[in-house]
Amino acid sequence: MSQGNKVLVDARGIACPGPITELVKAYRNAKNGDVIEVWATDAGFEPDIKAWIQRTGNQLLELRKEADKIVAVIKVTAKK
Amino acid sequence: MAGVKKRVVIVGGGAGGAILANRLSKDEFEVTVVDKQPYNWFWPWLLYIAFRGSRRPIKREIRSVLKPWVNFIQSGASVVNLQDRYVELENGKRLDYDYLVIATGATVDYSKVPGLEKTVELFGNYHSTEENAWKVWQTINSMKEGTLAIILAPGAYRCPPSPLEGVFLAEEFFRRRDLRDKVRIVFATFYPRPYPAEPMNELIEPLLKERGIEYITFYTLDQIDVEKRVAYSMEGEELKFDAAIVIPPHVGVSIKYVPDNILDNDGFVLADKFTNRVKGFDDAFVIGDASALPVAKTGVTAHLQAGVVARLLQGEDAKNTGRTNCPFDVGYGLGTFVISDYYNPTVKYPINKVNHLFKVAFAATYWDMILYPELWNPVFEAFFEATEPAKLRQFYR
Repeated sequence: MSQGNKVLVDARGIACPGPITELVKAYRNAKNGDVIEVWATDAGFEPDIKAWIQRTGNQLLELRKEADKIVAVIKVTAKK
Repeated sequence: MAGVKKRVVIVGGGAGGAILANRLSKDEFEVTVVDKQPYNWFWPWLLYIAFRGSRRPIKREIRSVLKPWVNFIQSGASVVNLQDRYVELENGKRLDYDYLVIATGATVDYSKVPGLEKTVELFGNYHSTEENAWKVWQTINSMKEGTLAIILAPGAYRCPPSPLEGVFLAEEFFRRRDLRDKVRIVFATFYPRPYPAEPMNELIEPLLKERGIEYITFYTLDQIDVEKRVAYSMEGEELKFDAAIVIPPHVGVSIKYVPDNILDNDGFVLADKFTNRVKGFDDAFVIGDASALPVAKTGVTAHLQAGVVARLLQGEDAKNTGRTNCPFDVGYGLGTFVISDYYNPTVKYPINKVNHLFKVAFAATYWDMILYPELWNPVFEAFFEATEPAKLRQFYR
């Protein structure tokens, strides 16, 4: 299995649901095995990303709050 | 003291480009608008062609909505060179500028979704051309039973409320024809909820339920098999339909830019969110749908950004607030507005008939508003002030 690519999506300063739009744009071009790291500042991003993971079946590797941003690290696994 | 006039080249004669051109002082500026085709389009009306069969004119000659002292050249721009400050036209002629404004709008890219081009050929859409909007009208008129799917494809798109406006108007159409119990309407979106901004969704989601409209969230459209009448999500989820109307992914208009690192992956122009200056340039601006800014692609954005850029060019201090004011038709003569800015989330602005009346009245003023800012600016300013999101939020939570 080939090593996946890593993509950073910087959605800081974008209001809800902008971070999901930015994530989906990256997801559209991603392959299974790729890792997408999203940075966001909007508080609504946290519940939205959890729901997105649950609904799509991709894998949430990490979700952490830093002083100035929320970081979500996602592994793309559910694409057909 | 009258000096040499500054040359402003505006690429694009849509709402933003025309509004800006008419606001610049004729004593200070020599303004030239360039557009590859002769019309200024009132794009919101595609919705009413598609779902109401409206024959109201949707376009006017750009020349007729510009002040007489503004130059208009009908030509595509083959190169926009920000380093050497010129716009090269299709015939090779170069327009040198002191200030450049990119107002090229957005276009649709069917190639991002396999099967989408055929889907549009068959069922039409209401985000591209008059012809495709008429095709939607034919689609719904020929439908007597089955599933109508309205699908928001992943990516940028014009007018945030428009996908659901189509859904609501389709529902009204079939109910008025007494076909509502035979035609199932399904809305599929890649967002977490039917309307992406939560406060507005609190009004919209109950309305969808009340009208028996089905919806699927987190549905990231991957491809469409038109022959089998199935749309597939990226996770392989199947959505079967008899007719499908897709809001296609939008991209920037393809023009060669020098340097090309001012564009994002979808061809939108990177800019400062307060001044609309193109990334890295003091003398170039981008307004409206053409920008990569994370703001709504809608006429009101272009309108307000044009006002800010006009003031900046005239040496005033001005900055964008990120204000949106998108009319939202929910059918049966009812409407609301999506109102927010950089500092305030979307307001839960109540649905009523007066809001819809405002939308209809605005459509009637559109070209006059562009041509006579001296008459209409005070009206719009009063409206925007009365509906500032910071004020509205105190009333509508």
